[in-house]
Amino acid sequence: MALDPKFVGRAYGPFTYEIGREKLREFSLILGGSVPSAGTFGEPPEHVSPLLYSQEAAQAGPYGDIIAFPSFAVVFAIRPFSAAIADPELGVDRVRLVHGEQELEFLGVMRPGDVLTTTGQISELYRKAGMDFLVVTTETRNAKGEPVVRGVWTAVIRPA
Amino acid sequence: MARTFQVGDTFTHVRQCDRLRPVYYAGASGDYNPIHIDPEVGKLAGFNGVILQGLCTLGWAVEAVAVFVGDPGRVRRVKVRFSRPVLPEDTVTFQGRVTAVEDGRLTTEVTATNQRGEPVLRGAVVETSLG
Repeated sequence: MALDPKFVGRAYGPFTYEIGREKLREFSLILGGSVPSAGTFGEPPEHVSPLLYSQEAAQAGPYGDIIAFPSFAVVFAIRPFSAAIADPELGVDRVRLVHGEQELEFLGVMRPGDVLTTTGQISELYRKAGMDFLVVTTETRNAKGEPVVRGVWTAVIRPA
Repeated sequence: MARTFQVGDTFTHVRQCDRLRPVYYAGASGDYNPIHIDPEVGKLAGFNGVILQGLCTLGWAVEAVAVFVGDPGRVRRVKVRFSRPVLPEDTVTFQGRVTAVEDGRLTTEVTATNQRGEPVLRGAVVETSLG
C-alpha cells in the first residue's frame, strides 16, 4: 500500500549529539581501513589524513584540532530519517526498504566538543514504478545556531 | 605552492571490503541494521550473507576525493545513488574526474565499480572547496 502523502511535512527531532574525540578517530580509521584488535585500531592506513587522528598534525594544520571525516555526519544526522522509518503511523515496511539516494552538504568542519542539533521532516512521499519513495530532509546546527550539515535521505520501499 | 586542478584531471582509489568490514563499520557508525551484521538476515534479503552499509561506500567515495585534494576538511557536498550493494571480499575501484573548477569550488564525478565490473554507485558527485 502506498504511503499516505498526508505525512509530508511531519517533523522529527530535535536530536542533540556531542562529538567525542575518540569517536571521530574511530570512525575515520575504521572507514579508512584500520583493523581493530584488542582495543587498538592498528596502524593508520597510509591514505588516511593525519588531520583526522593526529593531535600533533592537526595542531599544525589548517583547523587547529582534529576534524571529523565529512561522512561522520551520518552518525547523528540520520536520526530524523531513522525516526520516520520507524514511525508506526507512517507504516514503512522495513523488510522491503533500501537506502536509495543520499545527499549531504557540509557548511563547516566538525570538531571534538561540538554540540550539534539535528531536525528533519518528510519532504516527499511518492510512488514510481511500483515503488514507494520516502524523502527526509535534515538540518544540523551547532551550539551557535549556525547550519553545519544539510542532508537529503531517500528510502525506496520495494513492492511486496 | 598551491596545487592546481583542471577539468579532466582523473584519480583512482581502490578499497577492499574485507570480510568483517561491515561489522567494523557498524561499530564505528552505529548502523547495526541486522542486514549488515547477521548473515541469516542477509540471506533472507536475497544475498549470500551480509552486505556493506551503503553509507560506508559513500564514505569511500568522499575519501577518494579527499585524498585527491589532500584535505578532508574541504569536502562541501556529496550526492550518490546506491545502485548495488558491496559484499564482503569485494574490491571496489573508485574513479574520479574533475568536471568543473569555478568559484573556488572543485566538482568531481566519481564512479564506483566492483571486481565484476558492476557499478555500486551511480551519478556520484563530490564537491570540495579549493582552499
